[in-house]
Amino acid sequence: MTVTDVPIATPSPVLAAARRRGRGLAPVLPALALIVVVFVIPVLALLLRSVLEPEPGLQNYAAFFASTTYLKVLGNTFLVAGTVTVATVLLGFPVAWFLAIAPSFWSRLLFAIVILSMWTNLLARTYAWMVLLQRTGIINRTLMEIGLISEPLPLINNLVGVTIGMTYIMLPFMILPLHATIRSIDPAIFQAASLCGASRFQAFTRVMLPLTASGIAAGALMVFVMSLGYFITPALLGGTSNMMLAELIAQLVQSLLDWGLAGAAALVLLVITLAIYMVQLRFFGFGQARG
Amino acid sequence: MSRTSRALGVAALALAAGLAGAAMAQSGSIVFTSWGGTTQDAQKKSWAVPFTKETGITVKQDGPTDYGKLKAMVESGNVSWDVVDVEADFAAAAAKDGLIEPIDFSIVKRGEIDPRFVTDHAVGSFYYSFVLGFNPASLKGKTPKSWADVFDTTAFPGKRTFYKWSAPGVLEIALLADGVPADKLYPLDLDRAFKKLDSIKKDIVWWGTGAQSQQLLASGEAPIGQFWNGRIFALQQSGEKVDLSWEQNLTAADMLVVPKGAKNKEAAMKFIAEATSPEGQASFATESGYAPVNVKSAALMPKDVAANLPDKHTASQINLDMGYWAAHRDEIGKRWYAWQAE
Repeated sequence: MTVTDVPIATPSPVLAAARRRGRGLAPVLPALALIVVVFVIPVLALLLRSVLEPEPGLQNYAAFFASTTYLKVLGNTFLVAGTVTVATVLLGFPVAWFLAIAPSFWSRLLFAIVILSMWTNLLARTYAWMVLLQRTGIINRTLMEIGLISEPLPLINNLVGVTIGMTYIMLPFMILPLHATIRSIDPAIFQAASLCGASRFQAFTRVMLPLTASGIAAGALMVFVMSLGYFITPALLGGTSNMMLAELIAQLVQSLLDWGLAGAAALVLLVITLAIYMVQLRFFGFGQARG
Repeated sequence: MSRTSRALGVAALALAAGLAGAAMAQSGSIVFTSWGGTTQDAQKKSWAVPFTKETGITVKQDGPTDYGKLKAMVESGNVSWDVVDVEADFAAAAAKDGLIEPIDFSIVKRGEIDPRFVTDHAVGSFYYSFVLGFNPASLKGKTPKSWADVFDTTAFPGKRTFYKWSAPGVLEIALLADGVPADKLYPLDLDRAFKKLDSIKKDIVWWGTGAQSQQLLASGEAPIGQFWNGRIFALQQSGEKVDLSWEQNLTAADMLVVPKGAKNKEAAMKFIAEATSPEGQASFATESGYAPVNVKSAALMPKDVAANLPDKHTASQINLDMGYWAAHRDEIGKRWYAWQAE
């Protein structure tokens, strides 16, 4: 059984007809106009600077790829985004599964916790992690008082801090799409699998995983791409030696005032993001909505 | 007239009315941008409140200062800041790049300002020292004296904290700690400075804002490091047991500038005149623990406060060379951030 065989939602004939006629475009225009004016045009302007400043040419891109520092920052960005994506899949899957099968009281409660944590101010949540993770923070103090460690663990201003903080912040973006996918699976399928003699492990790897692959892919794409461009959490929980690309861009814009190079770095990030999106489209389709 | 064009006409009228309203309102107000925290609170209390009382011009506070934003405003011609508190090396570079207006010295009294802290395009906001700050409780009673102690991780274990951004200060500190005499600092030996910093790099926690530096020191997260003297003063005022050493304190000034094309230039100049007046500077210095740039201010201040200002610790004081920094700001900045990211 492959992913595409699973009818998640039957396309409605009314929607399909509307799509053929190209209706429904007019109500989209205000949002589209907003995005073009406040997002697309400024981004294009910044990207233009990358080939126009300080003089026309590709010198900013040459400088970017010639610098071991910038390449290292690019590498760090991928390392963090990848680590966070894997961590959210591993932590998010059981939660999404529990949300789908638990009695409604417990699933509602857990759902509220997931959603509420997402609605809490990002900066407040990141500062909370600082309080927890720092050398004189709660975790280190507790461990030292119990006598498990004699020196504070380095949990902040490094990759560990960024990964912990970002995994926590990204978790809902993994859980929500996964939950939607898992909920749409008919539980009878697993009974059928075990009736056919599949062990629990086989039922998981050969039935569960293929059925949820599109949800995992959607969540992973969301988390990975959001992580690539993340700024606040890495800036507060990370150290300068594992800087991510967004921080580098901010530094170039705010402190060095080198907007040409900043534009180049931004375009590199944008191209990579789009490339990943294309790969995702190619393998998993545009959700199931293509009809 | 079609419905669409009539709607457009109405919208245009509304827009014009709105703009006129905004222009009228603006003649009676300016926007002052600074670094937030205890420093901007003191600026508001000592400068903005009396200024509004005297002139009727309201002062809106904004912040924190962001050089990228300032440049973007000037380039787009839509300047919403009227007076900005910036670091002196940026002021010098911004004057060169045409990002700031010349100061109107028929309004601001140049003669009263310490000549170290006034240029054609910028007037001192306050003058500060980078000092060695420490948290005695976390250092188990040992007292650091000089910058060399900050680099001595055996005698003073734990994290040390320095200013994160490329700016005058940290490189000079590294060279002083490495034994370079104060009068031989410039031009900076960058190789030597970075090599010295490498020796403690893994123990450095960087602070990006004054408030962050206060949090790191007070919590003992980084019990020793480089701080703005006023931030230590503010911690002490609030009862925190932190201390400082004035040995080889490094002075620089923040500068007040007016972005090119600011909408309320004249009011901005008046505000700068108020801020740098003997009274404005004396009041701010009393509040903040930073030193006044106006030579007439010290006489107006309480004796015990005046005794604790950077200008009373001149014996081993070193002036950071803003001329050198303005000329080399870009080149040092590139190397600084590359080194940090290594």
